[in-house]
Amino acid sequence: MSDNKTLGEHLRERGVSRRGFMKFCAATASLMALPPAMIPAIAETLQNARRPSVIWLSFQECTGCTESLTRSHAPTVESLIFDYISLDYHHTLQAASGEAAEQAREAAMKENWGKYLLVVDGSIPQRDGGVYSTIAGMTNLEMLQEVAKGAAAIVSVGTCAAFGGLPKADPNPTGAAAVSQIVTDKPIVNIPGCPPIPVAITGVLAQYLTLGKLPEMDHLGRPKAFYGQNIHDRCYRRPFYERGQFAETFDDEGAKKGWCLFKLGCKGPTTYNACATAKWNEGTSFPIQSGHGCIGCSEPDFWDAGGFYKALSVPIGDAAGAITAAAAAAAAAGLAAGAVNRYHKQVAQAAHEPLKVEELSREEKS
Amino acid sequence: MSGPSVEKGINFIREQIDAPVASFFSSCVHCGMCAEACLFYTQTGDPRYTPIYKVEPMRRLWENEFTLWGRIKSTLGIAKKVTEEDFAQWEELVYDGCSLCGRCSLVCPVGNDISGMIRKIREGFSAAGYAPEGLIGATTRAITIGSPMGVRLPALKAQIGHVEKETGIEIPLDRAGAEYMVLLSSMEIMNFPEYLQAIARIMRQAGRTWTISSKAFEATNSGIQIGASDLARELVQRVVDAAEELGVQTVISPECGHAYTAIRWEGPNLIGRPFKFKVRHILEVLDEFREQGLIKTRGKEQARLTFHDPCQLVRKGGVVEQPRHLLDLVAENFVEMTDHGAMNWCCGGGGGVSANERADELRLKAFRQKKSQLDEIGVETLVTACANCRITLEEGLEEYEMDIPVVGLTETLAEHLVEEDQEGQG
Repeated sequence: MSDNKTLGEHLRERGVSRRGFMKFCAATASLMALPPAMIPAIAETLQNARRPSVIWLSFQECTGCTESLTRSHAPTVESLIFDYISLDYHHTLQAASGEAAEQAREAAMKENWGKYLLVVDGSIPQRDGGVYSTIAGMTNLEMLQEVAKGAAAIVSVGTCAAFGGLPKADPNPTGAAAVSQIVTDKPIVNIPGCPPIPVAITGVLAQYLTLGKLPEMDHLGRPKAFYGQNIHDRCYRRPFYERGQFAETFDDEGAKKGWCLFKLGCKGPTTYNACATAKWNEGTSFPIQSGHGCIGCSEPDFWDAGGFYKALSVPIGDAAGAITAAAAAAAAAGLAAGAVNRYHKQVAQAAHEPLKVEELSREEKS
Repeated sequence: MSGPSVEKGINFIREQIDAPVASFFSSCVHCGMCAEACLFYTQTGDPRYTPIYKVEPMRRLWENEFTLWGRIKSTLGIAKKVTEEDFAQWEELVYDGCSLCGRCSLVCPVGNDISGMIRKIREGFSAAGYAPEGLIGATTRAITIGSPMGVRLPALKAQIGHVEKETGIEIPLDRAGAEYMVLLSSMEIMNFPEYLQAIARIMRQAGRTWTISSKAFEATNSGIQIGASDLARELVQRVVDAAEELGVQTVISPECGHAYTAIRWEGPNLIGRPFKFKVRHILEVLDEFREQGLIKTRGKEQARLTFHDPCQLVRKGGVVEQPRHLLDLVAENFVEMTDHGAMNWCCGGGGGVSANERADELRLKAFRQKKSQLDEIGVETLVTACANCRITLEEGLEEYEMDIPVVGLTETLAEHLVEEDQEGQG
């Protein structure tokens, strides 16, 4: 549980230098689009921050989000921060099991009621009373509702928690839903991605620790600092797109030369995430850099968007059908209008009595 | 007999509304370029003579009955209906203020055939009894007598007699199997017999066979001018029947503008089938003769002269180069007016305006357009190829005291024929 050490003390114990810590603070400020003047404030606040209690609930998920966070960034400052927070309950990471684990959760809730941060990964099944996923005999739905009550804020990590993700993909057999569909009375920040970029998680946590509030968000509840720009606009292959140089297959000349993957179904143009800038594995690479198009994993319903290898210019989903139907309806309406007009004219023609020369003059009418 | 009525007129206009008309009204951008192209507007400055405005009743009918908004407005009772008052007001614009010259259609940036629509709207006005007396009279004579000027066969025969005497050439009447059947306008029979003379001499030199039908010698078609297709059809049918009975290859439309439009362009549409003969304007035939070397001329006119392009023949009929080629043969000092060929200015008397006495004042006012063109180049002779233009030009020149003789191109050409070999035959 929580001890009384500050973050600064904790980091120093772990051998992180002042310089390394300041670098992290500057990076965090810039990542979160905060002014440079905020860096000392971040450092000061983080130094003296008390360990906040974090309860991490995993529901219908694959543990990929946790893997992303714990494995790829193991020795970094971000992971130390993550170590530092008082992770009082986490299926995968906690040592306790069985009833002890549930007791830990309940104790953390009680001790930090109204103050703890709730992190959720995975979607929540709702169909048939939510029986499709239970923990210790409790449905995910019940657990979320219970834990959310005492939370200061909720962080939905991963696309499943944020938007429903894969479990919600058509035909959604479990009635999977996003956190925001169930909890409506708490501040929620979505950090989607399959999995999300680790710094997006630590960045949000850092800001919450320092400023005591959640970051500025877009219309989908995503922090703008990480999800404010689309992959395409920041992609290093963008010049090839502008020149119309595309890889047509995964093993052609264009693919070898690193041309744009748009025609191979890259969803970069419609995907808002920081992959192209923050990258993965400590800034090593990201999918497009390793030769595969973006699959749009940080967008809602990316799994049902018509195929990862289908170029975006092909209407996704049912748009094609809708357009065809609309066009057909419009054509039918046009034909109907034309038929009405033609009929109207035919009536006029039927009423036509050939004009006789005697009928030209009005005077002769009577 | 049901007699003319506004309902009938509206129904006749309704019949004329087709896809082109709908697209024309939909695409009009109200730029006003047609106004600047219309001599009735430029010479009066009266915006009511803006060509597209002349078909406003038709536009309103189209909007009320053929568009969604119009139908909604009509249902709500807030649409402006076409009334008898509209017919009374627009009659002057539709007949007196338009010579169907087609200059507006040519300049329209969105390609609207405005003069074609005025031709269409006249269908409704004639059926509603709102056509000018002069045109009603001409049409009545054309149908009942066979000529808008009341020329009957005996009058033609008398002229034929004069021409035969003058030229010593036989004018073949009703000769079956002739290559050409020649049509004449009443005006040529009565006012300009030199045309018939010229034809006789040119045909003799070219060595072609030709004839005139006693059943259908009249080329003009008042039904086209007043805008009554039912009557225009009857007049066209007479020519078609005669030509097919005689089995001629080609019917020659005379030096008359609307006659050419009537028989060549509107004719097959009116009777609903292709003709079994070709139709050519006399200038087209003469230019063919020239190309084939069938015409030998001697000497050239020394007078400074210009050519007035008849609208129906040149702008609407596409006979632009032929008159120039022919004038090259016989004119030394040919000059063009500023706007010539397809962009010529109308004499002001076309489209039935010259047959409408009520429009005389307006027509003479509009003639100032032609006057300024002529003043600019200062010619001694004015050549044209339309009897109606010729009369209108003569009247206009007289009104403005301009001493310029107006002559037909065919007769001008005939004056320079080399006829030594035939002269001996006397």
